[in-house]
Amino acid sequence: MSRRITHALGSLGQEILLVVVILALFAFVGTYNPRFLSENNLTSIFVGNAYIAVAAIGMSLVIISGNIDVSIGALIGVLAVISGLLVTNGYPIWLAWLAPLVLGAAINALVGCLIAYARVPSIIATLAMLSILSGGLITFTGGQWISGLPAGYQLAQFRLLNVPSPVWFMIGMTVLAGFLMRYTTFGRAVYAVGSNPEAARASGISYKATVVKVFAIHGAIGGIAAVLFATQLQVIQSTVPVGLELVIITASVVGGVSILGGVGTVFGSTLAAILFAAIGSSLIFLNVSAYWLRAVQGILILATVLADMARRRRTG
Amino acid sequence: MKKLLTALIGASLLSTPAFAQSAWTGGDDQPTNPLACTGESPAPEPGEYNGGTPTNAPDRNGKDLKVVDIPKLVGVGYFASTASGMQEAAKELGNITVNTDGPTRANIDEQITFVDNYITSGVDGILFAANDPVAIAPVLKKALDAGINVVGYDADAEADARQWFVNQALPNGVAKSMMDQLASEIGEEGSFAIVTSTFTTPNQARWISEMQAYTEKCHPNLKFLETVEAQEDNILSFNQAQTLINKYGDDLKGILGMTSVATPAAAEAVQQNGLCGKVSVVGLALPNAMKPYINSDCIQSTILWNTVDLGYAAVEVMRQVADGTLKPGDKTVKAGRLGELPIVNQSQVLLGQPKVFTKADINDFDF
Amino acid sequence: MTSMTRILIRHEAILGILFVVVLFAMASQNDRFLTTANLLNQARLMTEVGLIAIPMTFVIVTGGIDLSVGSILGLCAILLGVFWQNLGLPLPAAIGLSLAAGTAAGFANGLIVTRFRVPPLIATLATLALYRGLAEGISQARSVRGYPDWFAVLGRGDFLGIPTQLWLFALVAVLGIFILRFTTFGRTTYAIGNNEAAAEFSGLPVERTKLVIYTASGFISALAAIVFVSRVSTTRSDMGSGIELEVITAVVLGGTSIFGGRGMVIGTLIGLCLMQILQNGLSLSGVRGDGTTVVIGAVLIVAVLISNLLSRFSSD
Repeated sequence: MSRRITHALGSLGQEILLVVVILALFAFVGTYNPRFLSENNLTSIFVGNAYIAVAAIGMSLVIISGNIDVSIGALIGVLAVISGLLVTNGYPIWLAWLAPLVLGAAINALVGCLIAYARVPSIIATLAMLSILSGGLITFTGGQWISGLPAGYQLAQFRLLNVPSPVWFMIGMTVLAGFLMRYTTFGRAVYAVGSNPEAARASGISYKATVVKVFAIHGAIGGIAAVLFATQLQVIQSTVPVGLELVIITASVVGGVSILGGVGTVFGSTLAAILFAAIGSSLIFLNVSAYWLRAVQGILILATVLADMARRRRTG
Repeated sequence: MKKLLTALIGASLLSTPAFAQSAWTGGDDQPTNPLACTGESPAPEPGEYNGGTPTNAPDRNGKDLKVVDIPKLVGVGYFASTASGMQEAAKELGNITVNTDGPTRANIDEQITFVDNYITSGVDGILFAANDPVAIAPVLKKALDAGINVVGYDADAEADARQWFVNQALPNGVAKSMMDQLASEIGEEGSFAIVTSTFTTPNQARWISEMQAYTEKCHPNLKFLETVEAQEDNILSFNQAQTLINKYGDDLKGILGMTSVATPAAAEAVQQNGLCGKVSVVGLALPNAMKPYINSDCIQSTILWNTVDLGYAAVEVMRQVADGTLKPGDKTVKAGRLGELPIVNQSQVLLGQPKVFTKADINDFDF
Repeated sequence: MTSMTRILIRHEAILGILFVVVLFAMASQNDRFLTTANLLNQARLMTEVGLIAIPMTFVIVTGGIDLSVGSILGLCAILLGVFWQNLGLPLPAAIGLSLAAGTAAGFANGLIVTRFRVPPLIATLATLALYRGLAEGISQARSVRGYPDWFAVLGRGDFLGIPTQLWLFALVAVLGIFILRFTTFGRTTYAIGNNEAAAEFSGLPVERTKLVIYTASGFISALAAIVFVSRVSTTRSDMGSGIELEVITAVVLGGTSIFGGRGMVIGTLIGLCLMQILQNGLSLSGVRGDGTTVVIGAVLIVAVLISNLLSRFSSD
């Protein structure tokens, strides 16, 4: 019986598997403590981590194209501070929301050029960017927090139809990127470049232009994530959130994006980001000893990955 | 793999009975010393000096000093404000320059490397706030051996690895302020949860243990729910406070924020949930970060020592140690505009009692 | 001499020249830099990263990666303390058990990578969380202190005027150079990185080799943990967090290709020393930590750019 169920699960995609796991988790924790399913808690699970889900969309594009970016956490930190500095120095709020997008795209387009034209492997280029951005941030801000943000700046606290804006961004960006990847020449070029650069080149796809575009889009999406990150609270921290890049990469790969490139969708990464947020919250609801929390998180990630590998092998 | 796990978990269970079952999560295992519930506790006697002494330090009396300040990490408001107090003192004294430099993460190893490099570069004095009291001790002793004056602030090292430590407030005093304030806001029978940075941060662990001891003695009916970790990350702190609110609903009357990052984030969570006045946030935080919540009457108070004064006092003490005017056996030390500060615990300079900032006076402070 | 080896030697040569240039530049900035005492002290400080960088070179040459090394370091440090203080074992036995645990943790990584065919990045990303979580859970976040004096000799003492752990490091480094360069095992390692399918097809023991390499990475991480605990005379569950990025930076700076098949231990050693003297030298010339971080990022890019540029000229 159970084998039949696992087999049935195995034949479905990673996205379906994630949906099933998320629903099962919600049902289980909800039975244990009904407050877990309260509207408030569901909102905070989605809202508090929406910026991770959004950033993971861009990361998925990068990984599908056969690259990696370990500097995204630092980039988000830097763009959030820039946004905050703009608004506290009297620039209009719309500019403070828009500038991170443009700057993110510009910075990462540069990184894309390093990778595509100067043939610096992406992990090295972005490792270097990680150092440059995180060190530069401290040099620039001197470690001061940004407070005194004007009213109306907190984009992440707005609601539309009683749904918080981060959730709209998460859904909107996922759908948009999903469409882009599935139905446009650009999307097909990203998959082609990721699965076989030589073949892509032979069929007339420009490897270099595609990689630069992917990184620019990734940077712009990182800018959106940074605005969501910066506008959630009344202060903006001027340090780079420790380990954020690993969380974002993990969301992408657990979401089914193959680290070897060429495979995966953006839906999976959004679902994986939701799953992580739900796991973090549910462990507190299940009264897992706080000391063991991280170990349990590790086991759950490992289990998801192993289940995925087993599934892939079965479906071959 | 499974066997390994079982073995490891087994080992940990075997190893833990020493820690009392009822201990609050996040405390340490050092002995506690709760203050009296009411009234002033008598000032502790300083006792015999137990700090270290630099070897063959040159005569620095009145000479220009080059001092480096190495906080736990750079990039947080807390240490930015201590650094500004240091610059203030340096400017006032005129014959001392202070340069703040440190790791971008609260990491014991990186901090050691910073201290080591500054010993080699030849500074006159090192000010530090230790990420770990034991781990940093060998390299500080090396500094003393090189004739460098070493003074700690905020987070101490082992006593013989430095000369003096400027203590912002005694742990049992912090505990008393926090728990008295909490009890006055949520009543003697309320339930509360704690948001801390990490369980391995020595100061926070010390305070949590002292808070437990003081609560058992003076507020026995307060109910501890749980402690959650939130690093030094304000979004994570916000999410964790939010989850606590969702989990306990009306049962949660108070949140204790153990860091200057966690407390404003918890206040924000309370405000965004429309729970002002229903859930109290009591904790350590910089007044500037708490002004929005206190001025809007959502949160009643914030507790902290004056961090600018802490940095200021550290530099004053450093100057006097170098001049030789602060010696083992002294009972007080003169610290510029702060006046006379008492010496406690053998080799610590006490800044004072933690201050409770309320709507009445918080706008008079800017740090 | 194949063109392949020529390129290899060229990158190491460039790096060597860069190293000498930096050495003299730093020495001219500050007369306290180029002293035996300072250089030996710097060597002491870099030993933990250096130790782990040796097996990491092997891992990356096979086209893999091991992100869990810092967590294994933390876990083994904690276990050392728990075995010794809480279980009351004699310290040498505790050291032995801790080394065994690190080896087992590395073996588990190897199994997940080889048996379950999980890509190394994801596998070790999951165990990064798991091992760190175990360290936190087992220690209940308590430190273990008060190690006997004889134990401090390893981390703080000298032998024949040279820091004790440097002898250990030299031994591991020489072994690493020898194995990768002159043995069948080393040739198999390169073969896996160049083309894993082909290596398997030609009957090379691919799985076993990878298993041994990941196990060695765990063992050496445990060894680094012992050295670290001895140096700082305390154990904490957050020890070694983030060290994986430093290790990987040293290895890729040393010319090892992140795509596998190319790299030498000698390059890793030069990369490591270059990083360390940059950090130390800049600090001595009055550059603050955040500025140093920026410079290291820039050097990483420049080193790869120069090497790319030269190899392009020579191959044309």
